[in-house]
Amino acid sequence: MRIHFKIQRALYDAIHADLRRRHEFAEERLGFLLCRPALTETGGLIVAYKFLSTPDDMYVPDGKFGCVFNSEAMRRAMQAALSLNVSIFHVHVHEHVGEPWFSRTDLKESAEFVPNFWNVRPALPHGTLVFSLNRMAGLCWWPGHDHPQRFQKLSIIGSPIQITQEATWKAF
Amino acid sequence: MEGVLARQSFLGENSPEILGGTAALIAGLGGGGSHVAQQLAHLGLGNFIFIDPDKIEFPNLNRTVGATYEDALVGTPKVEVAARLVRSINPSARIKAIVGTWQENIRTVRGADVVFGCIEGFAAKVELERVCRAALTPLIDIGMDVHRARPYSISGQVVLSMPGCPCFICMGHVRETDCAIEEQRYGHAGGTPQVVWSNGALASTAVGVMVQLLTPWSDVTVASFLGYDGDLSTISPDSRYVNRRIGECPHFNSTSAYGDPFFA
Repeated sequence: MRIHFKIQRALYDAIHADLRRRHEFAEERLGFLLCRPALTETGGLIVAYKFLSTPDDMYVPDGKFGCVFNSEAMRRAMQAALSLNVSIFHVHVHEHVGEPWFSRTDLKESAEFVPNFWNVRPALPHGTLVFSLNRMAGLCWWPGHDHPQRFQKLSIIGSPIQITQEATWKAF
Repeated sequence: MEGVLARQSFLGENSPEILGGTAALIAGLGGGGSHVAQQLAHLGLGNFIFIDPDKIEFPNLNRTVGATYEDALVGTPKVEVAARLVRSINPSARIKAIVGTWQENIRTVRGADVVFGCIEGFAAKVELERVCRAALTPLIDIGMDVHRARPYSISGQVVLSMPGCPCFICMGHVRETDCAIEEQRYGHAGGTPQVVWSNGALASTAVGVMVQLLTPWSDVTVASFLGYDGDLSTISPDSRYVNRRIGECPHFNSTSAYGDPFFA
């Protein structure tokens, strides 16, 4: 299944601005992106809608991981999925230029918490995104698929339009 | 397309890859859409989706680029004429030619990076915009009209509907009353009046808008609403848009306006 992720430039910039703020003790920030899915001729499309920032007091000091959020942060995201009928994508930033990818810890944690969103919206895809300073990457748990699918194409819609796609990507 | 694009290198070092990887959908392959298809082929666009239910007839020959007398004689589908034209310029272009309506092919529409709306009718334009907005796809609409004045007057427009920006209704491109009276407005010059030079001017402008979005050659903001005065032969920012105070678009700001509203 080929999955394309799209986000408006203004929303993308707003997420960057939010996630790159310093926190009192957390080494990085995170948030949740509310999205709506659609089917395309060749797979799926995830359209970003709104960003749910994580308030400062929802981070938990943790000696092992640089960033841990409390259960209230997760509850807010699940409530949004339920109330607004949206897909939820966890987002964080890696502070470097170029193609980002998830750390081993990111992958392990995501595999545990992302499927939880199916408890409230089982028919919708959910997932996780990682931004670098100029690119992004993501994994999507699409209903009916055992394993998360990597976004093969990611588009930032603004002026200019920025499209990153795998060489094998085909629109039709 | 190696070497072919050398004269447009000012569009950027990686512009051949950007354009080669882009998928453009043209809804309507008549007077406007056929011009757009031809220009995109020359530009080095890699992926084309053509959607039009109609076949070439003799009255189309006054403006449809690539159409021949033979096509009108046998009734070649317009999308096949466009595909043939594009292949004659760039044999490696990937083309999906659909004889049908875009409404029957919504999933295909969602796969495009940019959509050219070369269709008639305000209601149809609004409908196509809704689908494009839901997929965060820029829609470039072109249209022309001939009115009774002096004794005839030609006008038209190129309108960019950019996700997150004012929509057709916000910009004054479409009014709700337009949909109701559009049938009465057309046809003053016999049939739906269309001429090749106006179509060409509008299509060229629309293609320029797309290129400026994908591989900008200047830092000038892409104009959203360009009006064409066919009598004066000018294209300039449309006063209907320029004189409006536009805030946040209220028409596409709910979750139901994003993705597939029927996706459970």
